[in-house]
Amino acid sequence: MSVATRISAKSRSWFVDFVKDKELFVASILMIFVFSIAGTRFFTLDNIANILRSVSIGGILTLGLSFVMITGDFDLSFGSATGLLVVIEMIMLDQGVNMWLVFLVMIVLGLVWQFINAMLVVKVRMPAFIATIATWNMARGLIFWITKGKTFYGDYPDAFAFVGRENILVFLPTCAIIFAVLAFFAYMLGNHTKFGRHLYAVGGNPEAARYAGIDSDTVRILAFLMSGLAIGVSAIILGSELCCAPAGAGDAFQMQGIAAAYLGATVFKPGSVNIGGSILGSLLLVVIENGLVMMNVPFYYKYLIQGLIIVGAVSFITIKKRNSSIAIQSKI
Amino acid sequence: MDSNIILGCENLTKRFESTLALHKVTAGVRKGEILGLVGENGAGKSTLVKVLAGELRPDSGSIVFRGKTVRWESSNEALREGIGMVHQRPLLVPEMTGLQNLFLGKEYARRGLLDEVAATEASRRLIEKYPMYPDMDLTKTPKEMSAGEKEILAILRVLSYDPEVLILDEPTASLPRQETATLIEMIKKLNVERGVSIIFISHKLEEAFGLCDRIMVLRNGKYVGDLMREEFKRERVIRLMIEEDISLFYPPKTEEVGPVTLEVTNLRAPGVNNVSLEAHAGEIVGMYGLIGAGMSEVLESVFGLNRITGGSIKLKGEELCLPSVSVMKRKKVYLIPSDRHQLSLFRNFNVMENMTIAHLASLLPETIIDSAKEHKLATNQANKMTVKCSSVSQAISELSGGNQQKLVVARWLMEDVDILMVDDPTVGIDIGAKRDIYLLLRELTRMGKTVILISSEISEILGMSDRIYCMKHGRITGVLTGDQMTQENVLRHIL
Repeated sequence: MSVATRISAKSRSWFVDFVKDKELFVASILMIFVFSIAGTRFFTLDNIANILRSVSIGGILTLGLSFVMITGDFDLSFGSATGLLVVIEMIMLDQGVNMWLVFLVMIVLGLVWQFINAMLVVKVRMPAFIATIATWNMARGLIFWITKGKTFYGDYPDAFAFVGRENILVFLPTCAIIFAVLAFFAYMLGNHTKFGRHLYAVGGNPEAARYAGIDSDTVRILAFLMSGLAIGVSAIILGSELCCAPAGAGDAFQMQGIAAAYLGATVFKPGSVNIGGSILGSLLLVVIENGLVMMNVPFYYKYLIQGLIIVGAVSFITIKKRNSSIAIQSKI
Repeated sequence: MDSNIILGCENLTKRFESTLALHKVTAGVRKGEILGLVGENGAGKSTLVKVLAGELRPDSGSIVFRGKTVRWESSNEALREGIGMVHQRPLLVPEMTGLQNLFLGKEYARRGLLDEVAATEASRRLIEKYPMYPDMDLTKTPKEMSAGEKEILAILRVLSYDPEVLILDEPTASLPRQETATLIEMIKKLNVERGVSIIFISHKLEEAFGLCDRIMVLRNGKYVGDLMREEFKRERVIRLMIEEDISLFYPPKTEEVGPVTLEVTNLRAPGVNNVSLEAHAGEIVGMYGLIGAGMSEVLESVFGLNRITGGSIKLKGEELCLPSVSVMKRKKVYLIPSDRHQLSLFRNFNVMENMTIAHLASLLPETIIDSAKEHKLATNQANKMTVKCSSVSQAISELSGGNQQKLVVARWLMEDVDILMVDDPTVGIDIGAKRDIYLLLRELTRMGKTVILISSEISEILGMSDRIYCMKHGRITGVLTGDQMTQENVLRHIL
């Protein structure tokens, strides 16, 4: 061990890492620039509050999805699961159950829902895609069974609207604050704790994780439970925002979440879904949507754009990965 | 070049990253000949035939077929031109019938619909033409077939292209004795009756002696000689396979060993058959055998990765009921697995994260990982283990193979170790990194640690081990110590 290149103890600054894979930032700034020129109302306080309000539910669900995707799994059911929970929430409130108890039930049901998915995927070893397509449909079926396909209207306490409809400060919506707090915790959990490191390890190379002594099954189940928590919280906010339970509630968040997570996978840790990227991706997606509304573009373009974003982001990641991949060693 | 040569190569060189798999090999099979290709694990046999059959492209040198220099664009082109290759593990679709497998990719069809009748007829003609197992039941799926039947099916599939040269890569490796004899008979008839030239790779020398007209020996990617039928002698071939200069490259061995640290008795697990072994403090225990002889499986079972079905494992005299990776880590027993890309490295992690991943709970117990501390730990370790990187934040894909391997070793040596099990640590790394790893393993034994080393290189096992366990078919076939540790002895036990 003679000649060693000494490594400087100074770590690369966050700014270098930040700017290194900056495609998404360039895109966001460009987008915001376009919108602020095109729509004069874009930079008003009202509109910013509006954006923050719209990002919260989708953003929280995207955070949950990100945990699942980091470990290499997938979830197609969280949108309709949220819808199902909203139905249960509104019925319980209508029955006069204490609001805080209802909130607790939402969290528990969210956890139960994802625990079921986790068992199917992790223990039964069903492909996550198939398992969650099935549970997604089961959620849809349950909703229609309970509501008979009609929007459920019921009584609810006045305080209920506080979560989804009102502001905590002059213009800051309560739900945006909830999102911000959860985003902070998710970010810390994902990037600065042992659990987070294990998530990325299991997603990056499950075999190597096993050899390093990481219990990957437990890690994957916990990732699903994180998403369960997100579903519970989102259902609380969504119910409060709508104050009723439409049969299609929650559906729109499914694609939005997937698009945001993939969009986020193009930054910070390019090629893999990551919490920081998901937060940014969720925000950007809502900004785009909002900008289009401001420009009087019909709402259905939103789906077209979400689809394009998934195609674009995933192609980008795939190509990037292919180019950087080292030649696979063949056995001699 | 010999004008009788139907398929051959001149000065063929092929490199995989830092490993020279083939170095200026000139060789060839003559028309109507059965050529045996022998050599140690990693001698370059499979690489050579893959290049000849168009599956790999050579870095330099040329391929000569029917007297003309050729450049294969793909293995399909080589197959169409008359070079058929059957892989070590037959590539068959387990759920399809033998018939469907036979004509996979060139199905018989009429007006867009599959024509089973025509296919059956064609298969009958094929079996008639080539004297291969006339009463083969092609309605069975590979799942229901014996290993020998699968091998024959794979050979038949290649024969359906009427090749002039047939390449068989260890066709008998997984066959029981009876089926091996049948297959050898068939290969012989194929050669005599249909005049097909054959390249036959085998680890079993007797088999090659019985079948081949000529045997060619490769060693470390180089051609070292060939023997004609009348020169076939076990000792002669083994001497050619062996590297002559076990140089003074390896550090001096241990002079005195300490007490027993690991005792494995009658261990049974997947791929492990009644294995008993012991290792002492201050000793490097080598394990050697052909690929798939069960060395890795033994270490994986001891490390708690595979379920143990019988036997016992004692650490310093204390019996372990159920080994698991976390228990082993607590007992300071670590395993560095063989394939660093598959089993060790996280490509989404940088150098630092790759290093600390196995020790987060013990080295960085804080709830929020102390990144300054982590950075310092990793930097110190990288410097100590001479892992060359610009900083520990560097992506691991930017590291050379040798440095990646050092990083993996560095990961496991971040904490104190008692027993270090290392599975083929020097594959595909440069000589300097190899030397560093050897010195490091020796340093560990000097500190009274135990090292168990698997290697696919016989010279490495001989140069590094204080004692050698030879393995074959999941069993220990011999223990060699002191003067008994010679290449002849080792090969005698494993072949």
